[in-house]
Amino acid sequence: MSRAPARERMGALLLIVPLLAFLAVFFLWPLWTMVRASVVDDTVSRVLPRTAAAIVSWDGQGLPPTQVQQALVEDLRQADDQQALGETVRRLNSAVSGFRTLLTRTTNAVRDGTDAVAVDLGDLDRRWKEPRFWLALRDAVPPYTDRNLLAAVDMKRDAGGAIVSEDPGASANRLIMFRTFLVAAIVTLASAAIGLPYAMLAAAVTGWKRTALLLAVLVPLWTSLLVRTTAWFVLLQNEGLINRALQAMGLIDSPLPLIFNRVGVVIAMTHVLLPFMVLPIYSVLLSVPRNLMQAAASMGAGPLRAFWRVLLPLSLPGLLSGSLLVFMVAIGYYITPALVGGANDQMISSVIAFYAMGTANWGLAGALGVILLLVTMILYFIYGRLSKSPQLLGA
Amino acid sequence: MQPFIQFESVSKSFGSLAVIDSLDLTIHKGEFLSLLGPSGSGKTTILMMLAGFERPTRGTITLDGMRIDQLPPHRREMGVVFQNYALFPHMTVAENVAFPLEMKRLPRHEIARKVERALDMVRLGHLKNRRPSQLSGGQQQRVALTRALVFEPRVILMDEPLGALDKQLREHMQLEIRELHKRLGLTIVFVTHDQSEALTMSDRIAVFNAGKVEQIDSPHAIYDTPRTRFVAQFIGETNLIEADVVNVQNGHATIVLGADLAAKVRSGPELQAGQKALFSLRPERMRLGADPAGDNALDMTITDCIYHGDHMRVQLAKGNFTFTARCERLAGNWTVGTPVVVSFDPRDCTVLAP
Amino acid sequence: MFRTAQILFGVSVVIFLLMPIVAILPLAFTSSVFLTYPIEDYSLRWFVELATADAWRLSIMNSLIIGLGATLLSTILGTLASLGMRSKALPFANLLRTMFLLPMVVPAVVLGVGMQMLFVNLGLASTYPGVIVAHAVLCVPFVIVSVSASLQGIDPSVEKAASSLGASPVMVFRRVTFPLALPGVISGAVFAFATSLDEVVITLFVAGPNQRTLARQMFSSIRENISPTVVAAALLLIIGTLCLGGLAALLRWRQERSALKAVP
Repeated sequence: MSRAPARERMGALLLIVPLLAFLAVFFLWPLWTMVRASVVDDTVSRVLPRTAAAIVSWDGQGLPPTQVQQALVEDLRQADDQQALGETVRRLNSAVSGFRTLLTRTTNAVRDGTDAVAVDLGDLDRRWKEPRFWLALRDAVPPYTDRNLLAAVDMKRDAGGAIVSEDPGASANRLIMFRTFLVAAIVTLASAAIGLPYAMLAAAVTGWKRTALLLAVLVPLWTSLLVRTTAWFVLLQNEGLINRALQAMGLIDSPLPLIFNRVGVVIAMTHVLLPFMVLPIYSVLLSVPRNLMQAAASMGAGPLRAFWRVLLPLSLPGLLSGSLLVFMVAIGYYITPALVGGANDQMISSVIAFYAMGTANWGLAGALGVILLLVTMILYFIYGRLSKSPQLLGA
Repeated sequence: MQPFIQFESVSKSFGSLAVIDSLDLTIHKGEFLSLLGPSGSGKTTILMMLAGFERPTRGTITLDGMRIDQLPPHRREMGVVFQNYALFPHMTVAENVAFPLEMKRLPRHEIARKVERALDMVRLGHLKNRRPSQLSGGQQQRVALTRALVFEPRVILMDEPLGALDKQLREHMQLEIRELHKRLGLTIVFVTHDQSEALTMSDRIAVFNAGKVEQIDSPHAIYDTPRTRFVAQFIGETNLIEADVVNVQNGHATIVLGADLAAKVRSGPELQAGQKALFSLRPERMRLGADPAGDNALDMTITDCIYHGDHMRVQLAKGNFTFTARCERLAGNWTVGTPVVVSFDPRDCTVLAP
Repeated sequence: MFRTAQILFGVSVVIFLLMPIVAILPLAFTSSVFLTYPIEDYSLRWFVELATADAWRLSIMNSLIIGLGATLLSTILGTLASLGMRSKALPFANLLRTMFLLPMVVPAVVLGVGMQMLFVNLGLASTYPGVIVAHAVLCVPFVIVSVSASLQGIDPSVEKAASSLGASPVMVFRRVTFPLALPGVISGAVFAFATSLDEVVITLFVAGPNQRTLARQMFSSIRENISPTVVAAALLLIIGTLCLGGLAALLRWRQERSALKAVP
């Protein structure tokens, strides 16, 4: 290879590296942190490293061998991070109640004793002779866990380690995921039902009419999402413009429930996402030569048949990428359902936010996040394959 | 001959812009009529009105005695070949050709048979499962042509169908279309801005300018006896001469070209002595050197000589009067500044309408 | 019949698209505390509230600080990278481009959760730099798209002409490439600023009470107790984004016009 391209390549790389580094640190690393949080569970193994290493050799039958017991004694003696120790105690106690008192007592005892004296745990507390405490300890030490990922889809491991469904009623993650896909699908369908004829209309007319139709799509797109959601919040209220107007026209007696329910969410989300449907279809239709429809007509196809045989098949790629785009954005939506929806309309994003901010359950938030991220990435990949340029709307 | 298609005082305007102004046009059955004119002359608008994509603002169009100007395009049974072919990109070649037959709701096996036969006729049978984007320009052209012919429409309309092809292919397709026209006895209305295309292919040519027909005639008549200044200039090359008519007798007129050059030309009833008139004289009809039997011999001087390979172009002048002549080869060693006698047949000089 | 249906359909969709935005704006001028029609009395009290109440004033200031910071950061990084991606010698160009556009695709809540966890460890949580870099991540794709588009519009022969006329590569960039790309850079910056201004979700996760932005403040007021102040703020945002959008459109139009002029 000659020198000039090599130098050019160096120059190009130098220009790209700052952004690459920036995104690696502030975009990829956060995502990686979240993925890790969903599978890493090292509270116990960090506090009890020797026990974690030794207990692996135990087959789970009877009581663990003495070197495991000695390792635990040594770990407890050395543990100086009180906060981490407290976390470990809480973890173990939630698995088997009584672990808190057991560990506190044991810790105090081993710290009082001298280093040289070998402590017999069974003598210290009878409970160390029960295998269930040791089993709980063994379950808690592996640094990686699928607990969160399973919990995200309402599953868990039973005592024997087999994967089983969570008790019905204990968790609603599956229901919420189903609801997320359902709402996203309804919104996609509604957008397609409105967006396809609208895009065709915009492509068929010319002059100021086309400009007006396109502006009507672009102005909402430029307008802040929050403003649009606020607008629907105000309009859909019981005393809002829509209910007032319907009442004034005498169509209804009492206000229709439009807000804090599914209807409101679907209306507001369709409004927000409609441009993402219209624009891809419109741009596909623009590349269809106008005289294809004329050609169909000259060969005896009436308007409906020409539409069915020519225009519709040609707009399918746009319809498909528009639908993927709308669906993909819809499943990750947070603001609109959070503001316009009711308790039964919260989607997966709201649940993630709830676990992360409400209960600080990072593991579960991370696991649900991983699922949402995965689905989105798959959809984006398909979208990128379908449309030649994998960019969204070109801003 | 029976008129097949008839435009009667058809006008078309877009908003305040009048594109066609009170047009009368008759097209006969089985003829190949070219609509020739510069862009913006209204020729495509006429085709679009015939096909039904535009409605006349005023006037009527009849086909075989039936009014068609209010009929929607899909009921007119006219095969249209579009400028960029307008092949359906999502259908194969065979599906494209089958489309008009399906619209007629022919039985499936008959469609298959007709498609097969039509594609074989234009030697495209082996490409029937390709998509239009996988074909060359010439092949796409032939598919478009086949698609327009296959459902046996009453008229074939072609809108500059050869414009996108390169020169060789274009000439080949011209012959192919002409051959199809003769073999199938088609009525073809052909829009073009290429005069040589119109001259080679047509039975008749209608020359358009600014929404009006300037002249409608056989190619031969259009070229040899143009009737207006526009036709004379648009088709081929010509010398336009404004001259004084000195006297008129026996179908001939004597005119003075300027700079004391007098010439004898053929005359119609429209010329009168003492008037000024406009004449057209094609460069290739002029000879350098005296013609002993001829009527005209003008003494001029060669001012320029341009080599064109198969011919020479010679600029001639006397005083401020100039001519261009075209000749095969220069006889002798005539160079710039040489005096020369120029002769031409009185029948080759045409009077143009003022 | 068919035409009437078309017109009816077109008009009703346009109303559906525009009505919500248009219909709430007058409510910013109501004197009532309720967001209902009819408006009995007009007043500017909610704008006064916006300008005087500490929470709102602080949030407007924060939005400006964070928006400018994120715009500056993302515009510089994005412009440099777009210039780098022009080179044909660059390996994995498609992969890089996809990666740069990815922040637009990843659900905001997912990114927010990850950022919150990481930023706590890095000591960036609830700090201005933290919020600014988080917003900048979301702004980068808009800058990339806009700058790349304007770079793509530059006819390579113009740059070749410049170097044939004796300009060094640096001079070619300074006198030809950059001036031609500038409208794209500016419109990218405008999109970046608008994105930051409108961002709520990531802000919920990484900002503390001191970094509350206008959008974040609006979000919690709608949730807790909606008042016409929110609509007044919305009006400000609409005017702001429309001005910015108009500016971007104007720049694009000017660029297109100059591009047209360049073609004989």
